[in-house]
Amino acid sequence: MKPHALSLRVRLTFAVVELLLVVCVVCLVMPGVYAQAVGPKRLLVLYWDNKDFPGNVRFEESFKAQLQLDRREDVEYYAEYFEVSRFPAEKHALSFRDYLKAKYAGRTVDVVVASADAPLYFLLQHRSDLFPTTPIVFVAHNPPQPEMLAPWPGVTGIHYKNAYRETLDLAIRLHPHTKRVFVVSGTPQQDHRFEKDAQQELSGFEKVEITYLTDLPLNELIAKTKSLPANSLILYVWQQSLNEQGKLLESYEVLSRIAPESSAPIYGFGTLALGSGIVGGFLQGPEMNGAKAARLADRILNGTQVREIPVEQAQRVPMFDWRQLRHWGILEGSLPPDSVVRFKEFTLWQLYKWRIVGVITVVALQTAFIIVLLVERRKRHRAREALDRLNAELEERIAGRTAALNAKSRELETFAYSVAHDLKAPLRGIDGYSRLLLEDHAPELNDEGRSFLQTINASTEEMSQLIDDLLEYSRLERREFKQDRIELGQLIATIVDQKSRETSIDFIVNVNGGSVVADPNGLTQSLRNYLDNAVKFTEKVAQPRIEVGSNETLKNFVIWVRDNGVGFDMKYHDRIFNIFQRLNPSEEYPGTGIGLAIVRKAMERMGGRAWGESQPGQGATFYLEIPK
Amino acid sequence: MNEQLSPILIVEDRLTDLDLTKRAFARQRLLNPIQEARDGEQALAYIKRWEAGEPPPVFILLDLGLPKIDGLEVLRQLKSHPISAGIPVIVLTTSAEDHDIQEAYRLGCNSYIVKPVEFSRFMEVASQVEVYWCALNISPQIYENSVRRG
Repeated sequence: MKPHALSLRVRLTFAVVELLLVVCVVCLVMPGVYAQAVGPKRLLVLYWDNKDFPGNVRFEESFKAQLQLDRREDVEYYAEYFEVSRFPAEKHALSFRDYLKAKYAGRTVDVVVASADAPLYFLLQHRSDLFPTTPIVFVAHNPPQPEMLAPWPGVTGIHYKNAYRETLDLAIRLHPHTKRVFVVSGTPQQDHRFEKDAQQELSGFEKVEITYLTDLPLNELIAKTKSLPANSLILYVWQQSLNEQGKLLESYEVLSRIAPESSAPIYGFGTLALGSGIVGGFLQGPEMNGAKAARLADRILNGTQVREIPVEQAQRVPMFDWRQLRHWGILEGSLPPDSVVRFKEFTLWQLYKWRIVGVITVVALQTAFIIVLLVERRKRHRAREALDRLNAELEERIAGRTAALNAKSRELETFAYSVAHDLKAPLRGIDGYSRLLLEDHAPELNDEGRSFLQTINASTEEMSQLIDDLLEYSRLERREFKQDRIELGQLIATIVDQKSRETSIDFIVNVNGGSVVADPNGLTQSLRNYLDNAVKFTEKVAQPRIEVGSNETLKNFVIWVRDNGVGFDMKYHDRIFNIFQRLNPSEEYPGTGIGLAIVRKAMERMGGRAWGESQPGQGATFYLEIPK
Repeated sequence: MNEQLSPILIVEDRLTDLDLTKRAFARQRLLNPIQEARDGEQALAYIKRWEAGEPPPVFILLDLGLPKIDGLEVLRQLKSHPISAGIPVIVLTTSAEDHDIQEAYRLGCNSYIVKPVEFSRFMEVASQVEVYWCALNISPQIYENSVRRG
């Protein structure tokens, strides 16, 4: 039992020592573990060609975009370029291996990505020297056998295949009369990997006759494709060529040389060829593969075991070049569903449809508005013209009538004038001879005869006065009125003075002066007629009183003649200013009935007014209103 | 002296007016012989007679409203003819129209009188015409005659 006990003690001691050792080791190792845990993750992508090769550029773009590398703080991205097309020899691969080994010594890489077959096999071949503990993600046409994928730290990736059969089916569907298919492939190194695949996939395809144009020099290839028989198709697999100067042309560059002159539509398999002359096809390419590879790498960075990630098939998408579709008369509607059509040239209409519609609408509205305005203007113009015409016609008619009226009026005046003159001549005879009879033959007549002769004389005199007044009245209408400045005080004084010589009545003049523009004869005549009337109608009054005065308003002068005569009833006011109208029998107050008519006419012609105010037996006041 | 008196020419279409005028002159004891013309034509015919040597009148009483040739036209021709231009022409008419008065003076009449209707006033006019034109006024003819006689 003792050895047991001893051994137990010893064991215990060993256990304690072991524990201490472990603690010490852990303590020693921990900072390293801790450092590794917090340091950046490193991603290396090994590209198969140079940095500027479009396939590499597109791969890198989609790879970085998928991982959002621009924004990630925890991932360092490294890129290396194998450039196997330019440096194909084994020694180049070895020196590249040494270069990478030296470069990345002491730096842990978490995932290494091989973007194509060549870098993948390079990595696998030199795995013991290069990144021996780093998982590999690949994009390959010919992936390694599964047994090569299993060992730690593992390999996974994407297997891409060109869709030869699928694409040919599609092409024949779009070109139903196809009889011959020409498959173009080759490289200066006579790399037939892709062609073999194609032949394998297309063997037994009997619908059309398939011809392989393999490894043709560039000029021959161009000449050949230029003159293919009718109803042919080209399947463009992969073709590198040397140009006239010996420069290596990549597959898409060769394509862009042959496509413009090709007599048959070309279908392809990679997205790199789209845009360089192929119509389209079920395409795979670096854009899709880059994103897919990034997703795999991301899973590994996040701790997923590589063995748990199976190799995936690359995505193939039906893609087409819009310009080629148009060139070969293929309708977009006949393409498979979910097809991607690139390089579509939008017409101005497609690009700016709504803007154009907007502009046209605005212009149309404006035009319509302008047209409406023009029409309105024209209508108004026509209406105005019609109105003008009507006015002109009216004026013409009025002028015509006025002329006719004037002629008529002149005729009447001439008539009145002639009548008045011719009436006077026989009157002179009557008066003359009745006088002669009375003077020279009085003794031969008895009293009655003499009284008859006196009545003849009185009638003649009355007739003569009547004719004179009529002449005066008609002359008022015809003669021109003057526009003289007249001193009222002076004019009234003169007229009153003349009148007072004919009568014993005292006139009271109450005129303040001032001047008017009027016809002197017309004004004199009017005033004289007023005074004559005043004298006549105060004859029978005991104490006749006649007053002449004036007052001034803003626009007019008013002259008035006031008497204390018989007056008149205001209901006859208008009548007394009319010609031949009298209110009293002529034997009481002799007169022709023309005097006030002359006054009214004269005032009218001067732009003034004549009126009277009275009550029977209370005298009368007559007014003349003259504009200043 | 009587046989030497120059005549007075009265141009008047109206017989009563002519008669009354002559009577008025007669009442004034006017001794000059009276010559008559009853229309414009007859009035102008006197020009020929004066040219032939008949003595021209002391004055002419001219009515305006005349048959055949109007009074104003007669006046124009009288005043534009050298033999009659110097003879005083007194227009005696019923018209008191501005137009007639101005036209008559423009054509060279020497006086313009409106015929009064009343006989008394007519007499007055005749008297004044006679006094003025036969006694006061010196016309070229009167001046010539007096020189010849003197």
